[in-house]
Amino acid sequence: MLLDFDRLGGLKWVLVGIGILVSAFLLLPILFTVALSFGSSQWLLFPPPGWTLRWYEELWADPRWITSTLTSLQCAVLVTLLATGLGLLASFGLVRGRFAGRETVRALFLMPMIMPVIVVAVALYAFFLRIGLGGTLIGFVLAHTVIALPLAITSISNALERFDKAIEDAAILCGASPWEARLRVTIPAIRDGLFGAAVFSFLTSWDEVVIAIFMASPTLQTLPVHIWGTLRQDLTPVVAAASSLLLLFTLAVMLLAAWFRRRST
Amino acid sequence: MTPFLDIQNIKKTYGATVAVQDVTLGIGRGEFVTFLGPSGSGKSTTLYVIAGFLDPTEGDVRIQGQSILSVPSHKRNIGMVFQRYTLFPHLTVAENVAFPLRVRRRPNDEIERKVAEMVRLARLETVRDRLPSQLSGGQQQRVALARALVYDPPVLLMDEPLSALDKKLREEIQYEIRRIHQETGVTILYVTHDQEEALRLSDRIAVFSQGRIDQIGTSAELYQNPATRFVAGFVGNSDFLSCRIDRVEGHSARIVLPDGACVSGVRSHGTVRAGSEGTLMLRPERVRIRNAASNTTPSENGAAGLSVTIRDITFLGDNTHFAVETDWKQPMAIRVPFGRAGAEGLAVGDRARVDWVAEDAHVFAESANG
Repeated sequence: MLLDFDRLGGLKWVLVGIGILVSAFLLLPILFTVALSFGSSQWLLFPPPGWTLRWYEELWADPRWITSTLTSLQCAVLVTLLATGLGLLASFGLVRGRFAGRETVRALFLMPMIMPVIVVAVALYAFFLRIGLGGTLIGFVLAHTVIALPLAITSISNALERFDKAIEDAAILCGASPWEARLRVTIPAIRDGLFGAAVFSFLTSWDEVVIAIFMASPTLQTLPVHIWGTLRQDLTPVVAAASSLLLLFTLAVMLLAAWFRRRST
Repeated sequence: MTPFLDIQNIKKTYGATVAVQDVTLGIGRGEFVTFLGPSGSGKSTTLYVIAGFLDPTEGDVRIQGQSILSVPSHKRNIGMVFQRYTLFPHLTVAENVAFPLRVRRRPNDEIERKVAEMVRLARLETVRDRLPSQLSGGQQQRVALARALVYDPPVLLMDEPLSALDKKLREEIQYEIRRIHQETGVTILYVTHDQEEALRLSDRIAVFSQGRIDQIGTSAELYQNPATRFVAGFVGNSDFLSCRIDRVEGHSARIVLPDGACVSGVRSHGTVRAGSEGTLMLRPERVRIRNAASNTTPSENGAAGLSVTIRDITFLGDNTHFAVETDWKQPMAIRVPFGRAGAEGLAVGDRARVDWVAEDAHVFAESANG
């Protein structure tokens, strides 16, 4: 290798130092938030004068936190199902299909990934208001599916491209109908891609805030929207507690995904 | 009697490109037939038509008198082993072999019994619970073979199944395939571009060239009596010398070599016409070489010969390989079995005399493909 870490000599320690600093810069604010959620100061003083679980109790006692969390979960699960399902169908078309304009269709599918989120949000807001989807769960789900779909398609298409079509042909000659071959052979063979698509779709919806702010109504909010709203009204450590729980959940999803991936290989 | 598998006049075109044409071939039950030819010669296309992955532009394929062209691939009940590894990656060896029976909704005890039988036949006992990713290439193709045979298909197609394996392993599995063919009695259609593999495995070989079958026959027939120059060049090693055809009588021709030497009694093939250019074909082991100076051995009955210069000599144990050049600078290869008299004392640069028995020489029309 051109750059061998072990042969860098003194420079090695400089690199290690930079690495530690960057990690600290990225991670400390998160740890800081977690610490504040357990701190007894109402004004988010650091270091906290004492330790308490009071903010978690308040969080638990406030039904708005619970409902917004449930809304977020509901929305994320629906987005996961929708984006993975549509992503699978779209990937079959994009990878296996031979039709004019295929590359254009692929580009259109991936467009939301490169468009600024705020642009997508404003456009969807205006459109959904018009057709009466603003402030509804369906509106949330559709809007989040739009931005989750490119990730799902990328993940599933990659898996499908790596999968040799001859294996499906072999299943067909073995007596499986084309549909049976896809269900029993192709889909299980690309399950890593499907699983990745599901995880990405879930997380995309779970912590998305920009579009959600536009979609939300006073009665229907996702957790990130509620955090944002609470933060603007009063700076309470309850927000830190909510953020910590959000973080914990995201971490759990990631670990679960990693565990599944390891088990399947 | 109608053949068991009857391929009738298959033609497949893609726009203006003709992939195969005039492919007609009858195959008997239990026969091992190989399609031999270079890539792009139409052999795989023909196989894919039989498998149902391609529809022929013209022609018909019948099994026991019934056309199978309107039957979709998954209902044809044909077994196939592919060139690439096509095991189902998420299933174990035993589950891969069981798959065709599972999709046929066979009872579990029958599946268990048949899988055990196939695992034993393909000698996979030690790996039956492994995943394909934990197998070597040779093992994977043996599993594919077991999977293709577990439902007792009347016909087994094999599309260059060993091309991804190294030579030693290839020979080992060729032997396995032969054994399995003998044990099961299944009819096999095998595609390869490797002539040695074709010679080793097949009852009959169909040599493909440019979308057509040039010749169908046993290994010995193809070797001793090639129908075209292409077959002569593809099956076994050959020396080719340009010549002019002087006279043709039935299947015997008299030719004139570029140095003016006349050779009569040469076996002619195809549309050889007097006065046209031709190609003389000799097998390297049927040509004898001796010192030009000795000049003691009188030519035997019907023997013909010419003078050459020795360019290289390679001792290969059971035979010695001479690379020589004719007086008009055409290269020839000659193989002399160890212990045959006449070639002693020859050295690189020497002038030598080569000759052959007239009936060992074949002449083809120059325009014939290849």
